[in-house]
Amino acid sequence: MTDPLVDIRDLSLWYEKFKALDNISTSFSSGRCVVICGPSGSGKSSLLRCINRLEEFQEGDVLFEGQSLRECPNIAALRSNIGMVFQHFELYPHMSILDNITLAPRHAKGKSKADAEALAHTLLERVDIADQAKKYPAELSGGQQQRAAIARALALEPKLMLFDEPTSALDPEMIVEVLRVMRDLAKDGMTMLVVTHEMVFAREVSDEIIFMDDGKIVERKETDDFFSNPHSKRAQDFLDRILMKI
Amino acid sequence: MDWSVIINNLPFLMKGLWMSVKLATLVVIFAFPLACLIAVGRISTRRWVRYPSAIFVNAMRSNPLILIVFWFFFLVPLITGKPVGDFASVMIGFVVFFSAYFTEIIRSGIQSVGRNQIQAGLSTGLTYFQTMRMIILPQALRNMMPALITECVIVFQGTTIAYVVGLREFLNSTFLITEVTLRPAELYTFAAFVYFVVCFAGSSLARQLEKRQVRT
Repeated sequence: MTDPLVDIRDLSLWYEKFKALDNISTSFSSGRCVVICGPSGSGKSSLLRCINRLEEFQEGDVLFEGQSLRECPNIAALRSNIGMVFQHFELYPHMSILDNITLAPRHAKGKSKADAEALAHTLLERVDIADQAKKYPAELSGGQQQRAAIARALALEPKLMLFDEPTSALDPEMIVEVLRVMRDLAKDGMTMLVVTHEMVFAREVSDEIIFMDDGKIVERKETDDFFSNPHSKRAQDFLDRILMKI
Repeated sequence: MDWSVIINNLPFLMKGLWMSVKLATLVVIFAFPLACLIAVGRISTRRWVRYPSAIFVNAMRSNPLILIVFWFFFLVPLITGKPVGDFASVMIGFVVFFSAYFTEIIRSGIQSVGRNQIQAGLSTGLTYFQTMRMIILPQALRNMMPALITECVIVFQGTTIAYVVGLREFLNSTFLITEVTLRPAELYTFAAFVYFVVCFAGSSLARQLEKRQVRT
């Protein structure tokens, strides 16, 4: 295993004239769960999307296992090693849950139908919706849909999982079931980058916290350290607000 | 009114109708996949793909069908160096013209699915083309079915233009019979009735699909 797994070097991203990411350099090691937090518009999701090049950044580079994304000849093959979970699930509504999960293993990774389905059933078991395989996404609750989406990402047998505000579109009682799945993943040693506002999850599960503002990384600390004594004023203010300290 | 003129000439008229149906069907069969490709080009992020697609669509939509048909009728023999026949040249003209309209329907259908579904597909390592074919187009097709069927009805009505190059489609056949029998009232009433039945059936189907879509 190459370490660091992800190496970000002088990364900048613009949307038209707006600079969303401002010269970011950082890296992520295998087996760690890192939470990225910060106010909305601070560039958290943009940073996440640069790591599998869903955003085409203009400056700098991202290295995944030492492979430059900028010079990557086959970006699809690289992406098939990185699972991504979206805020609004983005399951394919015209396919059953099983087909949602087996699509990429079969067509991007070249698995046989039988192998892909066996894997899918194992994963559905793991996210606790084994009985929903034949159903369509619209027949599932939000929490179940997001767990199915996690299973779809895990079906890539990824080396890295990216979570882009995975619980922001969910009702409170469904958030717990999704966070539980994510916690178990982290415990099993999955490398995870999680953009979230769930500070309880961050505190209990993550190894490190990155705090972003204005397209920059303001702070990066071990989780315990971040919560006990964040240095920057902005991180302090953000924490006070989100933990509802009045 | 003497309706026997229709019975007496029915084989000739039906041959014309068959020509119209055949022409419309073939046009849709060829124009649709072509339009899928152009529509994907139309929403591409690459300028050298997007601009030519846009120019093509706008050029076709800003010209009357009859002109496009004439143009291909005279152009195709120039390119191939030999006459290709009425049917082939009309076919090409129609396919090119209607593919522009189908392109716009497909484009709005694709855009109704949303960028996030594309990103979801790409994020799992599928190529852009695979994502389009397996994730976006099936959903887009369902969304745009009513508009597509309506456009097919317009194609069928459009086949009447083929008379300008002498192709014996349904309306032209009717016209030829009136020349001989001098019974335009009966014959054109019959023709109008046939067009109505075919086109109304099509637009009713479109309406049904639209209703079903609202429910799901």
